[in-house]
Formats: sequence, C-alpha cells, structure tokens
Amino acid sequence: MLNSTFLHFLTLLLFKQKSKHIGTVLVSVMVIFLLSSVLFISSSLQSSLMKTLQGEADFTVTKLKAGETTQTPNEWMDKIEQMNGISALSPRVYGRYFYAPKEKSFLVVGVDFFEEQNAKTIQKLIDGLDLKAFLSTDSMIVGAGVKQFLEAHYFKNYFTFKTSQGIFKKVKILRTLPSQSNLIANDMVLMPMELAREVLGMAEEEITDITFNVPNDAEWSTIIAKLHLMFNDVRVVEKKEIQKAYENLYNYKGGLFLILYLITLLTFVLILYQRYTMVYSSERKEIGILRAIGWSIQDILKLKFYENIIIVMVSFILGVVLAYGYVFILDAPLLRQIFLGGANLENHVVFTPVVPFGLLGSIFLFYALPFLVAVLIPAWKIAVIPPKEAML
Amino acid sequence: MSMICIENVSKTYNAGTAQAFDVLKDINIEIEDAKTVILSGISGSGKSTLLSLIAALDKPSSGKIQVADELISKLPDRHASAYRAKTIGVIFQHFNLLESLSVEENVMAALIHSGLPMAEIKEKVAKSMQLASISHKATQDINSLSGGEKQRCAIARALVHEPKIILCDEPTANLDKANALKFIEILKTLHQMGKTIIIATHDPLFESLDFVDKIIHLEDGMIREKTE
Repeated sequence: MLNSTFLHFLTLLLFKQKSKHIGTVLVSVMVIFLLSSVLFISSSLQSSLMKTLQGEADFTVTKLKAGETTQTPNEWMDKIEQMNGISALSPRVYGRYFYAPKEKSFLVVGVDFFEEQNAKTIQKLIDGLDLKAFLSTDSMIVGAGVKQFLEAHYFKNYFTFKTSQGIFKKVKILRTLPSQSNLIANDMVLMPMELAREVLGMAEEEITDITFNVPNDAEWSTIIAKLHLMFNDVRVVEKKEIQKAYENLYNYKGGLFLILYLITLLTFVLILYQRYTMVYSSERKEIGILRAIGWSIQDILKLKFYENIIIVMVSFILGVVLAYGYVFILDAPLLRQIFLGGANLENHVVFTPVVPFGLLGSIFLFYALPFLVAVLIPAWKIAVIPPKEAML
Repeated sequence: MSMICIENVSKTYNAGTAQAFDVLKDINIEIEDAKTVILSGISGSGKSTLLSLIAALDKPSSGKIQVADELISKLPDRHASAYRAKTIGVIFQHFNLLESLSVEENVMAALIHSGLPMAEIKEKVAKSMQLASISHKATQDINSLSGGEKQRCAIARALVHEPKIILCDEPTANLDKANALKFIEILKTLHQMGKTIIIATHDPLFESLDFVDKIIHLEDGMIREKTE
C-alpha cells in the first residue's frame, strides 16, 4: 500500500530526476497526441455523418443503362407506390453543374418542396425559411462551400447558370445550409425541382432517381427482391450502403495517416529500447544502493512501477488534452487536409467534439503496457542480483 | 555475549568455472556486542567481501553467519532486506549516495519503508545528521559536497535507523587526514553509545586507537592473526 512517506520520496525522485524523463515524456506525448487526434477527427466525422445521414431515405432506386445510371422514368413512381409497406416516396432530380472558368462543380439537387415531408425537412434544417418566397422566385439554398466560392467570385446575391440550351438563368442565393451539414452538403445547391431540371438540361417530368422509406426493417430484402422482379434495369441502394461508402472514404484517409503514425511509433520503440538500456546502466547503481540500505525487491519494483505509471499517465493525459484542443478548438490544421483535402470546393467542416472513451482506453493499454514492461523487467533483473554487485 | 558469529565461511567467485576465485577461505570469527573490531589487510585480502557477507549484501558459498541469534547467511530476500534496514548500518568506501538527492533526502531514503510517520522520520533524520556533523549541509545536493561531507552524509544514513551494528568499508581511503580524524571522533562516539563496529581498513591510523577491541588480519582470504 502507498503511504505518505513513499509518495513523498517518489515525488522527490521524479522532480529531481526530471531531465532523465523529459525525452520519454515528449516522445510519448507526441505518439498519444497524433493517435488521439486522428481518433478524434474520424470519430467526429463519423458521428456527424451518421447524424446527417439520419434524414436520408432508406432506399434510392435508379435506372441502369449499359451498366451506368441514367435518368429514371417517372412512371416507375406509380409502380413503386403500389408496393405495400412503402412510405415517403419521392422523386429526385440532381446532377453536377460545371463552372468552367474555375473548373469547379456544384451538386445541384432539385427537391419537390410541394411534397409535405420535403417541405418539413427543409424548414427544420433552416430556421425561419420562407418557403413561399423560396418557391415564388428562382431561388436556391447553397452549401457553405458554394456560398464562399460564389462570394469570392463576386456572386453575392445572385448566380447566373448557363443551361445546356445556352440560356443564362439568374438564380437568387436565398440562404446557406447550416455548417453541421458541411460534410456532405458543402458543394450542394438546393432548388425547386423544375428549376433544377432547367439548370441541368433535363426534360420535363424527367427524374434522376426515386427515394422511399420502408419502416419495417424485416421487409427490406423482400422489397429489394420485388424491385428487381419489377424492373430489369434497376439499381437499388440502401441507406447503410451510403453510410459505408462514406465511412470507407474516411477510413482510407485515416490510413494515409498510418505512415506518419508508424514513423512516430518507431521513435517510441527506440525510446523504449533506450529506457530499457538506461535502466541497466544509470539506474543499476541507484537500485543497488536502495537495496543496500534495506529496500526489498518488492519495494524497488513498487517504486519503479509508480514512477513510470506517473510518467505514462502524465504523457497520456497531456497527449489527449493537446489532441482535443488541436482538433476541437484549433480545427486540426494540417491533419484536416488529410481527411478533407482534395474536395471539389474548400470544406470548412466543424469538428463536433466526440470522445471515444473505449478507443482511448485501448490506446492507453497499448502504450502503457509495453512501456511498463520495458522498465520493470530490467529493474527486476537488477534488483535480484546481490546489491554489492549492482552498486559496482 | 556474542553479537556476530562467523563459522567456516568461504566465498568463491565464478564457482564451477575456469575463472573460479576463492576470496574467503574457512573464516571463523566471533565478535561480542558493543565491541569495535578492525579487519585489516592489503587490497584483495577479502576484508570488504567479509563485510558484505555480514551485511547480507552477498551470500557465502559455504559456512554460517549468525547475527544477534539470526542466521543471516541463508536469509530470503525479504528478510535480508529487513535485516539490513533494522540491524545493520553500512558506510561504503565510495559512499554510495543517490547523487540526484540532497543530504537529508539521502538519509531519509533508509527510512522510507520503516512505516514511521513523516514527522518521526524527519526527527530521526535531523538527529542522525547532527550526530554525523552534517546538519549544516542538509538541503545541499550530494554533487556539491566535498569527500569528507559525503562521508558524513553516508554516516548519517547508516545511523538513522539506529542499528546495533555499524560496518565501515575503507572509511578513510578517500579522505584527507583532518577528515579522517573527524571520522574517528564520530566512531568513538558510536562506540560509547554501545554500537558494535567493524571496520575494514588498511589504514594504520586505526590500529593505535584506544577504543579498538580486536584487530583481525586477513591475507589471501584467510585469518593470519587476531589481536585482542
């Protein structure tokens, strides 16, 4: 058991021998910081993604032509509507609008705002949106990335689209989508369906795909089978497939970081080796002296254990706190480029604080155990030899 | 009454190998309580090894060592540590102090596992430093001390747990004459306090001391002469 005398001596040793520990603490903090930062970023992105995708429809149905998705016939709507167990059936119109002068593109999404569910969703997403005003003029709601890009190119209130017929279509920039949706809506432009068809050069009544919900999960496989029987050239995408696609994208980007992490890990292993050999050289005499003045092997191991568990804890807490500040306060400069870089438009995703305690616990174990083993084994090896020999 | 009883003790380093070396051969010594004994002999005669066996810092290859009715030659680690922490105080030739700590912290190190409350430990440390005439350097780091001061710190550490036996290994080897005489004064005080003192030395200064009860001369690991 720890008594106050032992704690006093332990603190003394740690403070008086701080130069011995400083290198170890610095490298450990670096390892923990990098690993925790990536963990915080990916957990935050995944959490935001899950929240954003919550409102997505359970199924998306598209027509296939020569293996590629093509415009979906409007009459499919009527056929799908007749299937049992389906709700919130909705046509969608979308496509990419290419802005040639700057070689950037926007994702233009046409929504049927006369449909009650869609109207409710958009009003919930944007506080105080005047839907009547929105639908009465040629207006659009844009993602934060689009808004920033347009403003930078002097399109403060309006933007003029050039349609496939060569007609210029002036559209009012009514509102901006909230920053929480930046992850998937950064380059998105929402507009009424008819306007979107005009901008994208689609014929009247043409739709890109159809979305719907199936409230009873048990019916999902039946619905998919029925759709494949009903249409020969159909592609059915489930919501969880979209989630997986996004998750894989961020996991892949996290993988890039692995190289950086491996380099740091290598340094950590070198530090462990250095600790191992240091215990043998510089601490050998110290252990011998303590043994000579009456300390038992158990006392020595207790001292070394607590000395190093404090180093481990301090490094871990410092690393995690620094990572938290770096990601959630400073918005992860440099690292965010690995995760969010390469996007069409600059994305100012705000990382919502998410602390995955389970994973942090695993990091602690993977870091603390080898560290303690690297110190305690040589300490034990020295402690068991006769003190006279250890003091030489 | 005999405080230390050494019977047929031998010590061989690298036993069973071609480099086997007999440091002590069939040693028999009896030391009574409160006596001061000198182990003399040239370097390599085995006197420091004999001290380390009495201090349970090492184990004999054969024979028995009994200290205060306790057979210490075959003690398991836990008991050997407790024996060193209670019965023995060792003053090493090279002082063996913890360089990163101050004088009082070095002295305190010997009482960390005593189970005593901090206030009592501090009291004992202060008393011991006073006895060794090193109180004025209490907060100073070991690296800043002279050889004589380092030794007085080592004496304070050896005395802090009030041991019955004091073992000194070549105590004046690294001291000038003035410091050697100061050390002898401290030893005299300890002798008067009733401590059993064993000094391994080849310094002739010790042989003429009035409080020395016995001189044991070692040569090639064997006792050549005992003078009462």
